[in-house]
Amino acid sequence: MEGVSYQRFPRIKIREVKGDYMKFELRDTDASIANALRRVMIAEVPTIAIDLVEIEVNSSVLNDEFISHRLGLIPLTSERAMSMRFSRDCDACDGDGQCEYCSVEFYLRVKCLSDQTLDVTSKDLLSSDHTVVPVDYSDASSGFDNSTNKGIIIVKLRRGQELRLRAIARKGIAKDHAKWSPAATVTFMYEPDIYINEDMMETLTLEEKRELVDSSPTKVFGIDPENKVIVVDPEAYTYDDEVLKKCEAMGKPGLIEIHAKEDSFIFTVETTGAVKASQLVLNAIEVLKQKLDAVRLSDDTVEADDQFGELGAHMRGG
Amino acid sequence: MGMGDDSTMSNPTNDLNHGIDKQYLASPIKNLVDKYQLVPEFLKVRGLVKQHLDSFNYFVKTEIKKIVQANKEIRSILDPNIYLKYNDVHIGEPSIMVDGVTEKLNPQKCRLCDITYAAPIYVDIEYTTGSHGQISVQTKKNVTIGRMPVMLRSCCCVLYGKDEEELAKLGECPLDPGGYFVIKGTEKVILIQEQLSKNRIIIDTDKKGCVQASVTSSTEKTKSKTIVKMEKEKVYLELNMFKTKVPIMIVMKAMGMESDQEVVQMIGRDPRFSALLLPSIEECADLKVYTQHQALEFLESDKMLKMSSYSAGPVEKGARALSILRDIFLANVPVHQHNFRKKCIYVAVMMRRMMEAILNKDAMDDKDYVGNKRLELSGQLLSLLFEDLFKTMNDEARKIVDALLARPSRSSRLDISPLIAKDSITVGMERTLSTGNWDVKRFRMHRKGMTQVVARLSYIGSLGHMTKISPQFEKSRKVSGPRALQPSQWGMLCPCDTPEGEACGLVKNLALMTHVTTDEDEHPIMSLCYCLGVEDLEQLSAEELHMPSSYLIILNGLILGKHRSPQRFANAMRKLRRAGKIGEFISIFVNEKQRSVYIASDGGRVCRPLVIADKGVSRIKEQHMKELRDGVRNFDSFLRDGLIEYLDVNEENNSLIALYEKEATPETTHIEIEPFTILGVCAGLIPYPHHNQSPRNTYQCAMGKQAMGNIAYNQLSRMDTLIYLLVYPQRPLLTTRTIELVGYDKLGAGQNATVAVMSYSGYDIEDAIVMNKSSLDRGFGRCIVMKKYSATCLKYENNTSDRIIKPQRQGYEAERMQILDEDGLASPGEIIRPHDIYINKESPTVTRTPVSSPMSLPDSAYKPSRQTYKGPDGETPVVDRVALHSDKNNNLCIKFMIRHTRRPEIGDKFSSRHGQKGVCGTIVQQEDFPFSERGICPDLIMNPHGFPSRMTVGKMIELLGSKAGVSCGRFHYGSAFGEPSGHADTVDTISETLVKHGFSYNGKDFIYSGITGMPLQAYIFMGPIYYQKLKHMVLDKMHARGSGPRVMITRQPTEGRSRNGGLRVGEMERDCLIAYGASMLIYERLMISSDPFEVQVCRKCGLLGYYNYKLKTGICSMCKNGENISTMKLPYACKLLIQELQSMNIVPRLKLAEA
Repeated sequence: MEGVSYQRFPRIKIREVKGDYMKFELRDTDASIANALRRVMIAEVPTIAIDLVEIEVNSSVLNDEFISHRLGLIPLTSERAMSMRFSRDCDACDGDGQCEYCSVEFYLRVKCLSDQTLDVTSKDLLSSDHTVVPVDYSDASSGFDNSTNKGIIIVKLRRGQELRLRAIARKGIAKDHAKWSPAATVTFMYEPDIYINEDMMETLTLEEKRELVDSSPTKVFGIDPENKVIVVDPEAYTYDDEVLKKCEAMGKPGLIEIHAKEDSFIFTVETTGAVKASQLVLNAIEVLKQKLDAVRLSDDTVEADDQFGELGAHMRGG
Repeated sequence: MGMGDDSTMSNPTNDLNHGIDKQYLASPIKNLVDKYQLVPEFLKVRGLVKQHLDSFNYFVKTEIKKIVQANKEIRSILDPNIYLKYNDVHIGEPSIMVDGVTEKLNPQKCRLCDITYAAPIYVDIEYTTGSHGQISVQTKKNVTIGRMPVMLRSCCCVLYGKDEEELAKLGECPLDPGGYFVIKGTEKVILIQEQLSKNRIIIDTDKKGCVQASVTSSTEKTKSKTIVKMEKEKVYLELNMFKTKVPIMIVMKAMGMESDQEVVQMIGRDPRFSALLLPSIEECADLKVYTQHQALEFLESDKMLKMSSYSAGPVEKGARALSILRDIFLANVPVHQHNFRKKCIYVAVMMRRMMEAILNKDAMDDKDYVGNKRLELSGQLLSLLFEDLFKTMNDEARKIVDALLARPSRSSRLDISPLIAKDSITVGMERTLSTGNWDVKRFRMHRKGMTQVVARLSYIGSLGHMTKISPQFEKSRKVSGPRALQPSQWGMLCPCDTPEGEACGLVKNLALMTHVTTDEDEHPIMSLCYCLGVEDLEQLSAEELHMPSSYLIILNGLILGKHRSPQRFANAMRKLRRAGKIGEFISIFVNEKQRSVYIASDGGRVCRPLVIADKGVSRIKEQHMKELRDGVRNFDSFLRDGLIEYLDVNEENNSLIALYEKEATPETTHIEIEPFTILGVCAGLIPYPHHNQSPRNTYQCAMGKQAMGNIAYNQLSRMDTLIYLLVYPQRPLLTTRTIELVGYDKLGAGQNATVAVMSYSGYDIEDAIVMNKSSLDRGFGRCIVMKKYSATCLKYENNTSDRIIKPQRQGYEAERMQILDEDGLASPGEIIRPHDIYINKESPTVTRTPVSSPMSLPDSAYKPSRQTYKGPDGETPVVDRVALHSDKNNNLCIKFMIRHTRRPEIGDKFSSRHGQKGVCGTIVQQEDFPFSERGICPDLIMNPHGFPSRMTVGKMIELLGSKAGVSCGRFHYGSAFGEPSGHADTVDTISETLVKHGFSYNGKDFIYSGITGMPLQAYIFMGPIYYQKLKHMVLDKMHARGSGPRVMITRQPTEGRSRNGGLRVGEMERDCLIAYGASMLIYERLMISSDPFEVQVCRKCGLLGYYNYKLKTGICSMCKNGENISTMKLPYACKLLIQELQSMNIVPRLKLAEA
């Protein structure tokens, strides 16, 4: 199609990847794309979570719904989730949600026989599928004794109390329920562009410089050995305007200028452990693409034009 | 008393222990001691509801013995040799008799089994058996005369002195304060009753504006009200034994005070007083009454004396008037051997006080002044009740004995002892406590609503219920005085906690450290007073009474005498009190205005502990606090060593109390322990209440009682009719000292929600809040509602009984019986739907007439009487528990707890701790919620318009403090007035903490929109605030109806949600429609959708006819034909009205015209 192409080629630069934590830069794109990525990561990347609980025996202090709710919120390793079927459109079991393609079975059988309180944790959940298990938070790299780390506590039992149940985990997305959210924290910030007017800065005494540096609640500025004010960590800046106010108060407006770069974002992604942070980003991009495809599929139809108007034409243009 | 003796007392010990410089300690230094530790110590020793417990304990230990002692003999009138004597009385352990076996009780068992938690009243008796000469005296010990309901945690209760583990074994919550009764399974608390004090002279004005002095006398024997008033410049006495008011001089003469001069002297020789009295003296002279004899005759004349039961037989002239004056007139002043002098002086003092008030309006008493009030507690009320029941029982016993003796032929030996072992006391006590109606005829007492079911909605609610004080006045009076906040309430009654609306300001609550006194024997105090130089009234001449240098000494409203140096006397008394020689709750109050010293030892006075200061220096030193921390000391030892004392409202007027030690001046006599103790338990939950607009705190006090949370540690084993629980309750991030003291941190009722103060989506107007769906998914605001359903298996007269049978597993009923177990009862854990049967019960068809074999009736002799669950659709409740027990008639009782877990939905009510309630306006997906660059996403959004008009600055500080709390990992404090003493974190330190953790000092964050990803234009005030979920939920309230049930007689739709009723188009709505002219709409609403009815009307006579279905015509029964019949529609209610009028002989005729 004729017309100007607005296509941009966003770049991602990974700064840090650490299992369930990741920090990256997203450049050359708009807030809309960045936000779409964030929203998809929070709400639309599928994971597996316990969705149906059949309680056989429950003589614990917590009632059935309570335990079911707690079970649902336990993160399960969900690398398989992308390839799994939603139980609502599973052919193998007619949406019954009990077949191997769309569900994973868990068993929990605990009884307290000693006088000591027994903690029932996520480690007591026995999975029918070794790829889908409760997330193990014990950090192998840390030198601590991992036997003390017992997973997520579901309920505590005293002598004679028993809990026996069958649970079925299914694929789902966090739009339906937050238990399917793979994301613990997904957030981004605009990269700040900090400009220090060096000439003006020279007019300040060292004392004033110190004051200026300390006026920021986060450690953004510092003083180098040559007594120059430098930017130590621009990303520590929280857009609190404190430094700018300080400059204003010192009677030197324009001493420091800070702008948000409109097209570069610093993402922080932290997952629940259901998927790796890097995988979460990839999955999110995948889901985002699928969503766009769903829109694009109807591009040839006339309704698309009615539906999207100019946007439809734009999309067809790529 | 003073600094000197204190230092000499403490110094030697110090030298021995620590070797501290003597000089240094002796010098009056002002070191600031943190006295806060005394508050938990106080509560540990006295508990939260100590006033109830003390009162009940006093009743059980002392009062009941007094009552029995006073009525210790039942002696036959016919044969005085036959008698029964009570030697001793005591209360046993709580127990119940089941089939002749005594079974021990504990409160939880009583709650679950619907029985009364009561203990037997044992008496030791001495009595005679036989009669007519062959009388032998016998003694019996531990005879049960009835069962006394036992207050939980009192000295009779099994929970007394038990530790946490033992309580847990008994199924009791260790945090439960006790102070209530368990009557037939329901917990009942006797509300504290507020009254005007008895036996005190109160000067006020009557309706006409006349100044009067009134005394409400109350002794063991009689209760009366005496009024001396100045009307038309003359002084009169009003007493309800006399028909009209009596000139006071006649009363004085009747009491033997024949000399007018002496009366004038008694009142005082001030010419102004004499002038005021002159008209009264003249009136008396006009009536020609000069001597005692004449006066008594005058009083006994028909126009004065009411004809009452007093006229029993002809008695000596004047004796009746004299006995009224002796026994009823000012009954609290005793008369010994016809010596009326004390009474004369009392009347003179009353007149003098009244005249002072006439001359100087300031001398008028304030009825609302807390010092003039007495709080009546459960012990006093129970003792009244017990006395009445005990006397009634004794009278009955005597009557029966006399009746037996009067009978000419007696067969068996006469034995009185079984006559007292009846259950009239048990039944009377139980009935009174469960209905709350105190009908004690003997004391002319008819009070309603004295007991209430303990509010178990929230822990704080039930605590607050124990401290509630209900007023005695009628609520409708339109005076503001009793409702206003009294300065004398300071520290005694909570200034915040009062309901809104009708009972505003009348219903009050006790403050945290308040103690209510119990009666104390006044005889030792009396003799002590005489030892300390009080000149006895008997020895004083009238002239000496009001000598300018001397003060009257008044003990509990009784004039003891006078003292020439009152201040020295008062100081001596106080010193004795601090040394523990007399009771710690005795108050000594020097009233300079009235020139008298009031000593009070009566019960029902409110008082509170204060630190004693000598010349402005606190007696409590750091060493004492250290000893307290080391556990060497406790609150009582502080009291014993004279470091702390209790002051009542009156004595507070003699002291200068400094708020803090640093503010003390040399005149200061006392120092407050902690300023936040002026608030009660409910107001104590509010963080920074001193930064809020005052009504907001009052609102929170009302709302805190509706908040859901944990009720008690035993909440899951309780069988209350309705329980609301929170799934994940939390303790507030911003706590107060009171919260820790009362245990709210252990049984919280709310959650710490991250709140962003901003506008969002428009669904947040009018205080609505926007909630984050993910937070709700994760359990925020999730609650459990449990309801009790019960069923009883009855036994009938003919020995048949209900039976519970196996459920049918096949057939058309089977579906409704799915949840039943094989025993015919719903099994726990099953989901119960509307119309499900939860007990498969059958009743015999014949229950009255005897049947041959009641235990083995054929199946045909039973009819089903199943109970079905009727809950709202759209709820999935679960059977939580099933409990079986036998009730007092030995019937099988079955209780079902039905549980439902709810997540918050639109319309549910939430509130912060600052009287800021709001409903959930909308629920928004997390990705649409705003977020900060740290990834923080609020749980709820509150509209900033909630702040300017409400001025709840405390809420803002709570947000800041909680935010600092989560960042640094330390619970922050916000106790009332706590900044100077370090019990509340200041905004400055909070801001520092915030900055240290990378937040802005003002609590505002840089926020991105979750929808666009763009930064918001403003910084958003965001942080955690403790939010309460209130019991009002839409699920319980929402209601709509298409068609549904109708009322039988009017055929109009029923009213109310519970009956699936219609929504009424009321008269105002109707008026609007009329004004608008929407006639068809009115017709539809008022007729078609309500009660349309077709009637046959006779055009000729205008009466209603009927439709004959055989002839297929309408017929007028008046005209006996169907010629002029028209059919028309009218509301059934109209037809009903016409017919009802006809039944009253009014003939409404309808005149029909062509439309």
